[in-house]
Amino acid sequence: QDTTLRLSHWVPEGIAPASKGITPWAKDVEEASEGRIAIQVFPAQQLGKAPDHYDMVKQGIVDFAWVNPGYTAGRFPIYALTEVPFLVDDSVRGAKAIHEWYAEFGAPAEMPDVKVCFVHPHAPGTLHSKDKITAPEGIKGKNIRPAHATMARFVSLLGGGPVQVPAPEVREALSRGTAEAVTFPWGAMYDFKLTDEVQQHLDMPFYMSAQILLMNPDSYAGLSDADKAVIDSHCTPEWSSNVAQGWFDDDMAAREKLIADSEQTLNVPTEEEVAAWRTAAEPLIAEWRDNVTAAGGDADAIFDGFVKSLEANDARY
Amino acid sequence: MSTERRGDGNRIVGKIIQNIERVAGIMLGLVTVLIVVSAIGRYGFARPVPDVFDVSRLVLGIAIAWGLASLGFHGTHIKVDLLALSVPKPVQIAINGFAWLVLLGFTALLTWKIGERVMDAMGGGDVTMELRLAHWPFFAAIWLGMVAALFTTAVRLVIIVRDGRDLGEFDAFDETLLQDSDQK
Amino acid sequence: MSGEWVAGGGFVVLFALMILRVPIGVAMGLVGIGGFGAVVGMKPALNLLAQSPISTITDFNLTLIPFFVLMGVLATNSGMSSELFRTGRAWLGGFRGGLGLATVGACAGFAAICGSSVATAATMTKIAYPEMKKAGYPDDASTGIIAAGGTLGILIPPSVVLAIYGFITEQDIGTLFIAGIVPGILAVFMYMATVRIWYARTLPASDTFSFLDAFASLRGVWAVGLLFIAVIVSIYFGIVTATEAAAAGAFLTALIGFVRRRLNLAKLLDCLVEALRTSVAIYVVLIGATLFGYFLAITQVPQDLTQFLLDLGAGRYGTLLLIMLLFLVLGCFLDAMAMIILMVPIVFPVITELGFDPIWFGIIIVMTVELGLITPPIGMNVFVINSIATRVSLPTIFKGVLPFVLVDVLRLLLLIAFPAIVLFLPGSMN
Ligand code: NA
Ligand code: NA
Repeated sequence: QDTTLRLSHWVPEGIAPASKGITPWAKDVEEASEGRIAIQVFPAQQLGKAPDHYDMVKQGIVDFAWVNPGYTAGRFPIYALTEVPFLVDDSVRGAKAIHEWYAEFGAPAEMPDVKVCFVHPHAPGTLHSKDKITAPEGIKGKNIRPAHATMARFVSLLGGGPVQVPAPEVREALSRGTAEAVTFPWGAMYDFKLTDEVQQHLDMPFYMSAQILLMNPDSYAGLSDADKAVIDSHCTPEWSSNVAQGWFDDDMAAREKLIADSEQTLNVPTEEEVAAWRTAAEPLIAEWRDNVTAAGGDADAIFDGFVKSLEANDARY
Repeated sequence: MSTERRGDGNRIVGKIIQNIERVAGIMLGLVTVLIVVSAIGRYGFARPVPDVFDVSRLVLGIAIAWGLASLGFHGTHIKVDLLALSVPKPVQIAINGFAWLVLLGFTALLTWKIGERVMDAMGGGDVTMELRLAHWPFFAAIWLGMVAALFTTAVRLVIIVRDGRDLGEFDAFDETLLQDSDQK
Repeated sequence: MSGEWVAGGGFVVLFALMILRVPIGVAMGLVGIGGFGAVVGMKPALNLLAQSPISTITDFNLTLIPFFVLMGVLATNSGMSSELFRTGRAWLGGFRGGLGLATVGACAGFAAICGSSVATAATMTKIAYPEMKKAGYPDDASTGIIAAGGTLGILIPPSVVLAIYGFITEQDIGTLFIAGIVPGILAVFMYMATVRIWYARTLPASDTFSFLDAFASLRGVWAVGLLFIAVIVSIYFGIVTATEAAAAGAFLTALIGFVRRRLNLAKLLDCLVEALRTSVAIYVVLIGATLFGYFLAITQVPQDLTQFLLDLGAGRYGTLLLIMLLFLVLGCFLDAMAMIILMVPIVFPVITELGFDPIWFGIIIVMTVELGLITPPIGMNVFVINSIATRVSLPTIFKGVLPFVLVDVLRLLLLIAFPAIVLFLPGSMN
């Protein structure tokens, strides 16, 4: 091959986001380039800490990086809308919707130094706890490990204590009582072996977290036209749906497995409880608007754009 | 006379470094207390201290960065003393001078790059998870620690080359430990 | 240029810089940047310096290291080490070789509040060596006992080296500490047995204390017991995280020091500065090792090395032995901490691939590193003792420590043959 491109991410290579999203995507790029491009994948923070991944790709330390913008609070105020709960109900169609929306309303403003390849959400995740929680009051006084900055704010708003521990340490935090609940995708129950620790699962699409694969623009500029075309054809909203599908399937299989397990309880909230959750989350949208406005963005236009894109893709909650 | 002035210069530098160390040491103490208070709050009253995760690690980062200035001066980095301790004095001075020149170069690179990071963070808007405190003042304080380390390492290099003084032999513990009194 | 050549050249430059007394972390960092630059380009490689060092010094998972260091420094400076020795002497002094037994016991007690072997050896040299000298102990025996006893510092929890191992391999630090308890106790008994069996005939019995005195001496060490219980028991029962236990341990040590009027604000400040210096020295190695690790990762050499070691066909235990020998050889001139930080990331994948328990391996490798602290030609503990007890020559200390080296090897073999000795206690947690 002519070109070797390096891709860095921070999850173990065996779990769904890597094995059913990133790796197949990289393979497809290699094949489409007829062997001219090789993509070397560095998993599990081998080349840098998870929160450093944006800077790593921006500065050319790697050619591609798989980034969770929610790990760096305040850095990507527009993207944080994807973290606000109860907006997106399907991660596969949602991935395409987010990609189309962000390419127009967000990336040019807050990720101008990089090229967006795909948006990579897990299936809507939920709250997994030791005690049954179905309504917002259940959060009060509990220590909860949130998935990202926006969920941390949500937990604070509801009178809980957010406990910030990295994903691989969640199991320890739960077993020691440092945290009594965690927001995680369904698949994480098995990926991080949590089924002994939290056996009560709120059975509703509760929150989302969308990683994003980014490319260094100089690495892109250095490619031949034919190779650029290969990359372009793999950095599309359709590919966002494509990679999200593998992770979604894994999450849903994990949910089925939890249902089949007699030790696990999935609690379906009543309609009133769902409404209460949604009301409780409304201040998050107001905070998001404030943050975007403070950063110089047109919050209303960006929010409307998000809703329109979700509706166009049939992914509105 | 000239030696006296040299001694004064070293004393002034020593005083500056002592103060730097004390500020950093106090920061370490504050973080310790913060974690203890947070643990009591969490287990005793189900009331976690907000942002203890981010604030404690960032403040400790500042303390460590300022501690670098201390090590640059005292020479108590972890290093291999085998060769330096078994050669004649002039060779030893050359080795020590080389080692500290390399350290100075590394510190300079760090100062440059972390300086860029600070400028970047000022525009970037990174904040802590809960209280949304901006990151950049913490990073700026870390950078100042690097600048201080640049200064102290250079001073030490001068002392090595000019006065032929050796580097601290065993790291990680020193005078105070050896003074461990028997309480009579 | 292929990855192997770049990595190989990197190691050569690394060892050259280290032997020329460049701080180990700085040598690793510079070679890491240079090597990364050779593969990816100098500009992005230099940009690593904008990210990685800040990430390392602001990593929450590492904050427990300064806390444990602080706890040990506070304990030393509030006179606990000499009290431990006095207690050991009151209880064991009547036996033949009693002062030696007391030294081992005091080392163990001190290890329970201090995370560093070198600090343990240094402290005990100040306290126990003059007493043994007065009692007519030959220099080889007295310094040998201290050098060996000092190695208990990193095995008996809390242990900074075990904490670093846990950080690097993503193992639970609390579990590692609990796993160190039984091997630590075993080590104490084996060292005491060595003093009795190997040296007893040549060593005089010292003053006998009455039972009354013996119990009275306990008054002086209640603080140590309390701290050990506070830290280890709360970790064992999962009451707090290891980080919180470390902070609370340091806080309580200071509090006890104040209550007993052994500390004042000025002394506390000195302790904070000393703990900070020690911690920063460790952080510099961590900063450099992280950069060096990125360089190795980008050359993909660790994967190749793993494959190479597995393909040797030496078998599970043969490969384990090779790895331990590698650590012993490196122990000839590398600091224990630096060795763990540099080498564990490289060999750890092999260990997991071979199906060894990562907690068990943590204890085994720490014990191997400990062995390096007391074996010739270079043993840090021996050097430290030599730097304090300057009239005792290095060969004398090495001669004195020899029986303990043999006993250490025996203990390693025991733990390899019966991993349950290490694993049953952590297995009973939760
Ligand atoms: Na210890
Ligand atoms: Na050795």
